[in-house]
Amino acid sequence: MKKKVLSILLAGTMVLSMTACGGSGSTNETADTAASTEETATEETSTEETATESTDSTTSAGAIRLLNGKPEINDQLKELAELYKTETGAEVTIETIGGDTSAGDELKKMYQGDNMPDIFVIEANQAATWDGMLADLAGEEWTEKTGFELVNDSMGTIGFPYTVEATALGYNADILSKAGVDPSTLTSPAAWQAACEAIDAKKDELGLTAVFAWCAEPTNLGWSSGTHVFGQYLDAGLKADDTTYIDMLNDGGTIDETRMKHFAEFIGMMNQYSDKDHLLVDGTYDEQVAGFKEGKFAFITQGNWCVTSPDDVNFEVGFAPYAFEDGMNTIIAGPPSYWVAYKDGNVDAAKAFFNWCAGDSAQNILVNKAGLVSPFDDCQYEATNPFYKSMKSYIDAGNYSGWHTMLKKDGLQNETCQVFADYAKGSIADADEFVSKISSVIKGFYAE
Amino acid sequence: MKTPSATKRVLSLICLIAGLGLLIWSLALDFSKSEASYRGATLIIGIIGIVAGLYFFPTLKYHRTIINILFLFPLLFAFAVTVIIPLFLGIGYSFTDWDGIRVKNVIGLANYTSMFTQPSFLWSIFLTFLFVVCNMIMVNLVAFLLALLCTSKIKGLGFFRAAYFLPNLIGGIVLGYIWQFIFSNVVTKLFNTQYSMIADTGTAFLAVIIVYIWQYAGYIMLIYITGLNTIPGDVLEASGIDGANKLQTLFEIKIPMIAPTITICTFLTLTSAFKQFDVNLALTNGKGSVDIFGNYLTNGTEMLALNIYNTAVIKNNYALGQAKAVLFFIILACVSILQVRISNKKEVEL
Repeated sequence: MKKKVLSILLAGTMVLSMTACGGSGSTNETADTAASTEETATEETSTEETATESTDSTTSAGAIRLLNGKPEINDQLKELAELYKTETGAEVTIETIGGDTSAGDELKKMYQGDNMPDIFVIEANQAATWDGMLADLAGEEWTEKTGFELVNDSMGTIGFPYTVEATALGYNADILSKAGVDPSTLTSPAAWQAACEAIDAKKDELGLTAVFAWCAEPTNLGWSSGTHVFGQYLDAGLKADDTTYIDMLNDGGTIDETRMKHFAEFIGMMNQYSDKDHLLVDGTYDEQVAGFKEGKFAFITQGNWCVTSPDDVNFEVGFAPYAFEDGMNTIIAGPPSYWVAYKDGNVDAAKAFFNWCAGDSAQNILVNKAGLVSPFDDCQYEATNPFYKSMKSYIDAGNYSGWHTMLKKDGLQNETCQVFADYAKGSIADADEFVSKISSVIKGFYAE
Repeated sequence: MKTPSATKRVLSLICLIAGLGLLIWSLALDFSKSEASYRGATLIIGIIGIVAGLYFFPTLKYHRTIINILFLFPLLFAFAVTVIIPLFLGIGYSFTDWDGIRVKNVIGLANYTSMFTQPSFLWSIFLTFLFVVCNMIMVNLVAFLLALLCTSKIKGLGFFRAAYFLPNLIGGIVLGYIWQFIFSNVVTKLFNTQYSMIADTGTAFLAVIIVYIWQYAGYIMLIYITGLNTIPGDVLEASGIDGANKLQTLFEIKIPMIAPTITICTFLTLTSAFKQFDVNLALTNGKGSVDIFGNYLTNGTEMLALNIYNTAVIKNNYALGQAKAVLFFIILACVSILQVRISNKKEVEL
């Protein structure tokens, strides 16, 4: 008797496991998209859920999926999708990938699983990976309202800019005015040096830990030094469409030694006036931003994403340029990533969605609720971001450079950030050594 | 045993044919990208049909074999899908320029030759071997001492065992972040150093070793405890009567008696130290600088597994990463086989 029960149980498990194997592959039992939409649009897009989803959405005209790479605006994008549905009746499903999984990596899995979203997020240097697979959006209505779209040589206008971000040296206006420094004069290394000395002298009086909240820790903050700060070498002082130094870099990893030397001297000055005992070498992003918000630092080496709400700070903030050569007066501003439409997906619906996103009701959500900065000229909403005023003054004056740092070879930031860390720690002694080390690292990386 | 009846034979054949038909049909639907919503159901019914048909197949001679295969099939299928097929696919990809999306060209051995010209990769191999040697010795030593402690007659034995084992239950990533905090905020205060251990390559490597031992020694300790408990009491008693002191008991009785356990433990530490990834990723992410081979390398603490991951995912070079992974597999297989051979020989001699 016992044996029989056992055998039935075993047989049962076997049949169950087989059906499970057969079922997960390609079944398509959720017929009703609308009902499953809400659930699938969770942060963790489980493959099984999306597998059932994909085949549905491609069939029903108008329904599209958007893969978002910014977890912090997930809720707002869902709200956007709701509004899109009430206004146009068309369906958009938001799927968010973020945190430690990069959207680019997840997309590869989706591609292998034949489960591509219709709209997804890419960084500029990922366009080559998707060569020939992205839809050309040229001639769309929204392209006339912005100068920030992503244009690719072989595929045309492929990227829809959904936000503009800026990075330079963020400053605390209160501290600067108390120290008697006018941020608009910070356009030469000499002016910076004088300002640093002035602020440093009043450090105790102003309650500062150091002048710069600059963290060169490579393990978790390598993206900051390796991509953003390094980007200043590529772009500071140049017009937005000037690609001189990124072209040189991508041509086998060549650097301009004089420019790099000046940049290195500037970084050396930053190291000198940073919190050498902790933040500079082994701090974290949270400590860096918290310190700046509390007014313990005059400058921060991040961008407009580090202070997103006016409630975060009780002082005025703004951007000052990395003026490592005389007359440099630009900040880096532009879209760090773009939304693109997948060619084999529902391109028409994606185009319609982009056009709608550039319109008033969508911008209202993106700007006012998600805290993004609009890339569109006719947007009537003032971003709530405390850095916005300063950003806008630079953009309006044409004093902004491009995010060309996003075009460097994938993974370079992981190599260069170590050089910044060594320089900060003092194991690279001076600017000359920094130049020779970073040039050998870059050369080696491009030779791989 | 009865002879199989005609009805049973017919039933079995019908089940088999119908099952196969449904299976092929639903697979055809799948490959032709049909949108029919019933194809999943037909696939399952088809599989059940085939299984039932085979189960009722009217034969006495092969019945047992059929049943064996049927019951093994789910496991074999899962093993093939998750291990065997990916292994061969991976070897195949390593000869191409696969970028994670598509294969453009087959490039033969270019990946294999280019990886040996990368100083950073050679450094990773060297570092991994160093890490394995350090850890095999240290983890086993620490674990064995802990096991001796936990088999002695001290108070609160259960607490100690649980406490030593606990770190192993925490995932490596979490552990890495916890220790990152400890190294930069606690250790610096304790030893009054300016920087965290992680900021310097040498000490960062030491930090990875410390965390790894902390994580893994408890687990190995449990195995040693089991081994020590299997030593027959009469042998120990006899040695005691013969006047063996504690050290003699340890070296002449206990260690030889648990030689098989030592084999298992060294094997476990060896393979897991080789595959070390999560603590490495979370604690240092491979950062650190070394001046070696006439190059300034920026992956001072990056071990093999992490190097493979970075090559594929961060540097977007999946095929090269795959080639490195194949080499990794070969190294690991060789070392493991060698190690088991040597240990087995020793056991026989004892």
